[in-house]
Amino acid sequence: MAETVIETKGLTKSFGENEILKGIDFEVHKGEVVSVIGASGSGKSTFLRCINLLEWPTGGHVLFHGEDVLGRGFDTTGYRAKLGMVFQQFNLFQNLNVLANCLLGQLRAGHKSKEQARATAMTYLERVGMAQYINAKPRQLSGGQQQRVAIARALSMEPEALLFDEPTSALDPEMVGEVLKVIGDLAHTGLTMIIVTHEMAFARDVSDRVAFMDGGVIAESGTPDEVFGHPKHPRTRDFLSRFRQG
Amino acid sequence: MQPRGFFAQIWYTFTAWGPQLAKGAGITMLIAIIGTVLGLVVGLAVGVIRTIPLGKHDGGPARRALLRVVNVILAVYIEVFRGTPMMVQAAVIYYGLRQALGLAMSPLQAGLLVVTINSGAYLSEIVRGGIESVDPGQDEAGRALGLTHWQIMRGVVLPQAFRNILPAVGNEFVINIKDTSVLNIISVTELFFVGKTVANMSYRFYESYLAIGVIYLVLTFVTTRLLRLLERHLAGPDSYTLATSSTMPDSVIEPGGTTMQDALRLRHANILTGSRRAAGGTQAKGRTNG
Repeated sequence: MAETVIETKGLTKSFGENEILKGIDFEVHKGEVVSVIGASGSGKSTFLRCINLLEWPTGGHVLFHGEDVLGRGFDTTGYRAKLGMVFQQFNLFQNLNVLANCLLGQLRAGHKSKEQARATAMTYLERVGMAQYINAKPRQLSGGQQQRVAIARALSMEPEALLFDEPTSALDPEMVGEVLKVIGDLAHTGLTMIIVTHEMAFARDVSDRVAFMDGGVIAESGTPDEVFGHPKHPRTRDFLSRFRQG
Repeated sequence: MQPRGFFAQIWYTFTAWGPQLAKGAGITMLIAIIGTVLGLVVGLAVGVIRTIPLGKHDGGPARRALLRVVNVILAVYIEVFRGTPMMVQAAVIYYGLRQALGLAMSPLQAGLLVVTINSGAYLSEIVRGGIESVDPGQDEAGRALGLTHWQIMRGVVLPQAFRNILPAVGNEFVINIKDTSVLNIISVTELFFVGKTVANMSYRFYESYLAIGVIYLVLTFVTTRLLRLLERHLAGPDSYTLATSSTMPDSVIEPGGTTMQDALRLRHANILTGSRRAAGGTQAKGRTNG
């Protein structure tokens, strides 16, 4: 099996009295695409945000290439630059146009030359089909367009892994397809990805592995066929059947 | 020989004391402009410092402890200068520095200092509000890219905050035009001081004060219109041009579904309507003379 990129051991997270994550053991290997599914409130997003330390875990470990990212003196900022993140609400920088959105991280955190950064940005903007819109401000774009720019922005950092936090949940139904297509294409390029999603058909299609979260733990994990086709855990079966009934 | 009749008397005030009144108005505008601009610099610095995250995982313990101390000092600064009348501040600073420290400032210098410090206290709260009004998602996106707090502040948050607070800063400027009148307590020869002098020399109190009232109104009215033009200018164009690329992406493309309407809606949502009175709460009421 390929090298482990990200690993969590007994990861817990509480907000006050409220324990959201109750000990998560998880790993992603290089080039692997893992989908995390589960009901709202099961801790999927919190789990993802604990991985790149947007939330600080309460306990347990997060390892990046075997190194403890919660350890004293670990370069958190540099670590985040190596992980891309795509948010549910896109979070494009509102004061910057499309191109500048894809340049800021490269220039400030990546210390590339302007020409290099621009070339990289254009490569990925073209890949997501937004190269035409480099002069547009985020507010002038549709949700689907914004999310594709956000994906290009994350890719411009050429991250070792890409985290998707419900990337299509805030989109109008007619725009979900264009974003899923972009993510699906990326999944086949050998990128390491963790995708938190409610799109079951999509997760089944693109994932190497699917993890089902329930009540702050990973209740079941396996290949898409195992989890979707032959779910072992009663909670998984229950969740999936509710999904099928829609 | 002074003319009779109400309007004739006011007109006489303008013509007879024109140069003095103009100079007073000039000093008033000078103090208001410089005081507001420097106050904004102070306010930006204080506001930015006060919004540095102080979580358990932000920086070392020594740095956090230092920041806490600085924050307490800044909070005291803001409370003191928002909670006392500018007239009192002017007198204390002007006479106080002279008597206690032997530091002799001209009334104009002292006036500029007072307005700067006072505006700084108000504006730092406005700046803080402006920073906090920016969607937290912007900060998160910056952090996820591996940017530091300062890089996010400079590149993303402050530009947005600045546009949001511009109406409030303009409001502060207009208030300063009026409130410089309290500086007559330390004999700054601003408009009110000139008006008082004219009144005392001509024994025409009502007409003299009404004359400077008209001048104040003209100054604030013109300023308000100019500020509105500036806001409109900074809001930027509503349209964008498609880049003409030879490599037209063949994958998913959709025409941008938003133009005028959305841009306008957003711009309206962005404008922070809170005035200084609102920001300052009840304490702000203590400072009026204009």
